[in-house]
Amino acid sequence: MLKTVLLNRATIVLGTLAVAIIVWNIYIAGNDDGILVGTVVDVSGQPVTDAKVVASELSLISRNVIDIQTTDETGQFRFDRHDHHAMVLQATKDGVGNSRRVEVRLYYQNQNKTLSDALVLDPDVKQGPLVSEQSGSN
Amino acid sequence: MSEAIAAPVRTSRRGPMIQKRRHRQLLLIYTFLLPALVIFGTYRLVPLGWNFVLSFQFWTPGKTSEFAGLFHYEEMLVYDDVFWQALWNTLYYMISAPIAVVIAIGLALLVHQPIRGREAYRTIIFLSYPLMAVAVGVIWQWLFNEEVGLISYLLRLTGLSQEPVGLLEQTATAMPAVMAAGIWQILGFFMVIILTGLQSIPEHLYEAAKIDGANAFRRFYRITLPLLRPSIFLCLIIGIIASFTSFDLIFVMTNGGPGRATELLITYVYKAAFTLTQFDYAATLTVAMFIFFVAIAIIANFVAGGEAGKVDIAN
Amino acid sequence: MKSKSYIGTHITLIAVAFLMLVPIYWVVKTSLTGENIFAYPPAMLPVDPHPFFYVDAWYFIPFSRFFLNSVIVATMAIIANLIINALAGYALTKAFPGKRWVILLLLSSMMIPFHATIIPAYLITRDLGLLNTHLGLALPAFSHIVLIFVFKASFDAIPPSLIDAARIDGLSEWRIIYKIMLPLSLPAIATNIILSFIWSWNDFLWPLLIVRDVEMHTLPLGLSAFLSYFESTTGSLYAFAVMVLAPGMLVFILAQRQFVRSMTSGATKG
Repeated sequence: MLKTVLLNRATIVLGTLAVAIIVWNIYIAGNDDGILVGTVVDVSGQPVTDAKVVASELSLISRNVIDIQTTDETGQFRFDRHDHHAMVLQATKDGVGNSRRVEVRLYYQNQNKTLSDALVLDPDVKQGPLVSEQSGSN
Repeated sequence: MSEAIAAPVRTSRRGPMIQKRRHRQLLLIYTFLLPALVIFGTYRLVPLGWNFVLSFQFWTPGKTSEFAGLFHYEEMLVYDDVFWQALWNTLYYMISAPIAVVIAIGLALLVHQPIRGREAYRTIIFLSYPLMAVAVGVIWQWLFNEEVGLISYLLRLTGLSQEPVGLLEQTATAMPAVMAAGIWQILGFFMVIILTGLQSIPEHLYEAAKIDGANAFRRFYRITLPLLRPSIFLCLIIGIIASFTSFDLIFVMTNGGPGRATELLITYVYKAAFTLTQFDYAATLTVAMFIFFVAIAIIANFVAGGEAGKVDIAN
Repeated sequence: MKSKSYIGTHITLIAVAFLMLVPIYWVVKTSLTGENIFAYPPAMLPVDPHPFFYVDAWYFIPFSRFFLNSVIVATMAIIANLIINALAGYALTKAFPGKRWVILLLLSSMMIPFHATIIPAYLITRDLGLLNTHLGLALPAFSHIVLIFVFKASFDAIPPSLIDAARIDGLSEWRIIYKIMLPLSLPAIATNIILSFIWSWNDFLWPLLIVRDVEMHTLPLGLSAFLSYFESTTGSLYAFAVMVLAPGMLVFILAQRQFVRSMTSGATKG
């Protein structure tokens, strides 16, 4: 009797689903420090120090600034505990240029991520607005 | 099979003991029935009477009621164009029932054949029915979207239109568009009902007809169709009921628009009561809607020649 | 005799199945690729699919809250239906004074569609103080007349000899129901569960009337409410629609045979 219940199609599917959800949540709980790491380079590929990296919200209703970090000697920047699941990054340095606005989308809030592509400072790229802007249609 | 309330007498003792037992059983029976009766009394019968009474009153929540006589009825029947439009739309929506039935018969005939994977076909076609009407409405609203909708794209692709077309925004096509969504949802359900009817037709009838030289068309027309009558009428009645109860679909797809092109009686009742807070007038509309519904049900039943709609209810 | 080729039937049915699935496919596809108003012709297959719209929808819309509300209300409705309908169905298998009136009452109640009762039902719920509560949401759906008759038919079909034998053995009324009638009525129980579940889960109009706060929204109400948040269609909205549809579809696929059987035997909604 117990065997028929356990081997029932519904039990297997729902059971697997429940297990998957639990495992996923355990994984998230261990990896949600919100660490976002990346590099800033210039057009020739050289790392840029003291570049300002602005992280803004990428949501359905606002583009507020989340945090601003500066790159260190190796051109790396790091955000901690940003508490978001999606954002837009833009790097800038006076005299060198601005980077494209790069979208960072995570699978869950505060997912730890290292950006594979560096942000490239280009003198020709315009700096996007930094203050909060209401996003109209997407 | 019903069991008489008095147990067979096994001893020769009669009198008070049997009486008490009979009373206890009666009490038990009514206790069993009580919750159901309370629910339906509260949520079906009382509301029906309440609506009726309310339709003859002037009343707003918080104030005392005054007798209004036929004021609301006069307003509804003589001055309210929207009421007549909604009535007409409700009738219009009923046309989707026979259309869906015809398609469903075709599908049922196909699925009824001894082919592999018929259960898979049946499941896929039935899939649309258990979905919530709100989601169906939302999906179809997106399909009909003027700029990005699939329907608009197909109309342009096939050359039927040069520009993006919003079928839900044009008065002439809005109702048919909503009906298309409704048909999409109910098709699987009708197909299964008719399939059940097909499965109860004895094979030997067809064999005998074949021996007598009847071709496929005659076999269908003379055997299948008449024996499917109960199933077909069941579907039609369900479709008719749907035109009085398709609130979800209309609300989400068009909310009665453009203008009042897709306004059904039920959506109008909702708006009168809960948007305009005219409970008394909305009650009048409800009474009219209910009378109309019962009238149509009686006519349909009569045409079907009996209790067509109650085929599967226990008798 | 040569066996018949059904290739024509298969082709037609495949085409029909395809048409029936297109709307669902379209929504799923757009939930993975987002909407692009400027793309004409729109792509038929997903281009650059990504799951991030689902992430957006999850964090923006209180989906788990809506889901929980729907589950609570549906569970209350299912349990109430099983108890009330089985008891009433059992009572109706007996002959008793007033039975004809009771049946008349029930049948006439069945003729009254819920939509003809919304105003007073709302007022009653308000007077009971049950607006915006799970109980208020579930109460009108605590029983369905069709389902009572499903139980009645099932109980009627049990051979009287079995019951008489049990009675001779001295079983009480309750034990007879519990030990004999219910186990022999599993299809009726399944029909009750499935239909009361699906009618509660998909219900939109009643929650629309009595729910005031976002925290009490059920799934259908939540879907419709959040539509009005967005003028434009974005991938997250489609993702939300898929999330709303998914549980119902999953339950259906797991129990489809029973679903189809139940939904056709309980054909008209009470």
